[in-house]
Amino acid sequence: MGMVKGMEATDAPRWWRPVQFLLWVIVLAAVVTTVVRFATGIATIANVNQAYPWGWWVGFDMLTRIALGGVGFTMAAAGEIFDFRGLRHLVRAALLLGLLWYLTYAAVLVVELGRPWMIWWVFLSWAPTSAMYEVALCAVAYTTVLVLEFSPLVLTKLGYTRPVRRINAVYLLIVITGVSLSSLHQSSLGTLLLLLPTKVHPLWHSDLLPVFFLLSAIMAGPALMLVEHPLATHFLRRQPRMDALRGLGRGLTVIVLGYLLLRLGDVLYRGQAEVALSWGFESRWFWLEIVVGLVIPLALLLAPGTDQNKWALCAAGAFVVAGVALNRLNAAVITMKVHSWEWYQPATTEVLISVGALAAMVLAYVYLVRWLPIHEEPRLPRETAARPEPAAARPVRVAP
Amino acid sequence: MPKAMIQDNTRCIGCRACMVACKAWNDLPGDTGNSFFAGAGYQNPRDLDPHNYTVITYTGIEAGPNGQPDWVFGRLLCMHCVEPACVSACPTTALTKSPDGPVVFNSWRCIGCRYCMQACPFVVPKFDFDRVVPAIHKCTFCADRIKVGRDPACAQVCPTQAISFGERDDMVKEAKRRIATAPGRYIPHIYGLDEVGGTSVLHLSSVPFEKLGYPTNLPDKAPPDRTSQVLHLTPKIFTTVWVSMAVIAMIVKRRFRFWAHDEHEGDGHGEGHGSH
Repeated sequence: MGMVKGMEATDAPRWWRPVQFLLWVIVLAAVVTTVVRFATGIATIANVNQAYPWGWWVGFDMLTRIALGGVGFTMAAAGEIFDFRGLRHLVRAALLLGLLWYLTYAAVLVVELGRPWMIWWVFLSWAPTSAMYEVALCAVAYTTVLVLEFSPLVLTKLGYTRPVRRINAVYLLIVITGVSLSSLHQSSLGTLLLLLPTKVHPLWHSDLLPVFFLLSAIMAGPALMLVEHPLATHFLRRQPRMDALRGLGRGLTVIVLGYLLLRLGDVLYRGQAEVALSWGFESRWFWLEIVVGLVIPLALLLAPGTDQNKWALCAAGAFVVAGVALNRLNAAVITMKVHSWEWYQPATTEVLISVGALAAMVLAYVYLVRWLPIHEEPRLPRETAARPEPAAARPVRVAP
Repeated sequence: MPKAMIQDNTRCIGCRACMVACKAWNDLPGDTGNSFFAGAGYQNPRDLDPHNYTVITYTGIEAGPNGQPDWVFGRLLCMHCVEPACVSACPTTALTKSPDGPVVFNSWRCIGCRYCMQACPFVVPKFDFDRVVPAIHKCTFCADRIKVGRDPACAQVCPTQAISFGERDDMVKEAKRRIATAPGRYIPHIYGLDEVGGTSVLHLSSVPFEKLGYPTNLPDKAPPDRTSQVLHLTPKIFTTVWVSMAVIAMIVKRRFRFWAHDEHEGDGHGEGHGSH
């Protein structure tokens, strides 16, 4: 902490201190809520019920967090395996984001599961017919992969060079294994909902659900980096990598277009066009998802001048991220129907747990990008004058 | 041999002896709640819950040509599907399907993920949301009684023989016979014969099941069939992705020692190109 504080003085905007305080308050509130949950049961803090046993926590903290955590494997693949121009410079930040999404998923899972202290049974069971089993095993394995992929940064910082050399010797094998594990559990989250043909609305329930979930997780990768990179370089006062951003934008255009066509084609093929055009409750959410998550970002990405403008690219990415989140929430929460007479709406404390995990993510992210060499872009020239150290050195400031 | 049960709602008089017998045999606590309405029916308790493995539903209808009011009954209980979605969904095999029919729950293995509740098309498994150490609760088909050759408690106690119990084949034959011999009394549909691949509880009724609040949007194909098709591909997907990624990496790096990863970069991180 001391280390981090030392850096704060030099490059944090003035409003960060109150915001940071607020984030800590939110985290604390979520922790208190968690204590209440374990002391009195889930019903005290959540509206999940006998008809809607999953609700917000599964829709957001499981399905959405893991989908957005796909940024780790997509960017690792794009940077390390495909070696697309400039993208390998973004891999460190992508791994950090991926790791944070997965770790916060695990944290909320402890709150969400009814009997989290029995979780070890998953590892002693053989349940190949269960998508939940596959998701659990692959997510644990992949989180291990993420830790391995990210650990060289931390270990080097701490001065452990030998394990770093060992990891680097098999680095690409680790990346490839991570991509394979991700392809499995990202699609299995779709299979998870495939088992519920009577509850998931026909605009979302399709035999292609596993494909859609994998594709949209891949889509979330470049989208999230388009959001992260301009913001991070802005606040760290570094030169954004426009070539990498352009590459991401181009890649995202192709994936979004492909996904959009496949999604609409699937709705048509399954004879749900009438439902989609009925402008009922589900139909409106469907179009909101399509327009916000796919059409608007596509228009932004194809607009002239966008690939010269980091904030336009950032906005396009943000829309896609929102669209992916909305897709998961639509399928698993908003339009899910169990009995016409049963009802679910998340409790404030239910959402507070998720927001607390998001706040923890932001705090961890900010501390880690300052501590570790994650953004190595050259500092912006007008800022260097005000700085005591030259940009290239970036020495570790160790707390007294 | 798999057993089955006929729930003949036309013979039910709504006495709820089955509910009492169920509570007695399964040692379930009594209730003091008074929430009556659940969908099509007016009953207390309104629905299945951790203390009630079976519930008789009371539905007011307009019967006959003059539309005079009448009551029809239905019964909620675990259907003990031939191919249970809950069993396929459980990540820890806490739920199992016995060869003689019952789908039974072992709370010791449960992690509380509640996927079984989601997976169940009949919304049967219930969870202690209000308890510190919760578990799933549902009808056991009196598996312990079946094992020693006795009928489930509800079937044994029913005073009007609305509940019959026996081999599934015999029960299907009997249900068909009842519909054939008294076509005016029954609608021509055995609920549970084909629904989600068939169930071990076969419901008969005088009114469409929709009116009783039974789920009627069920596919004939068991949902686990669909997902297992996908999940069977797991090893293939893993191998295919792994091999193709490795091949791409080799082609991109134009070398076959692709695993020797930029050690000379020496900035300590695998991707190692930050200093370009």
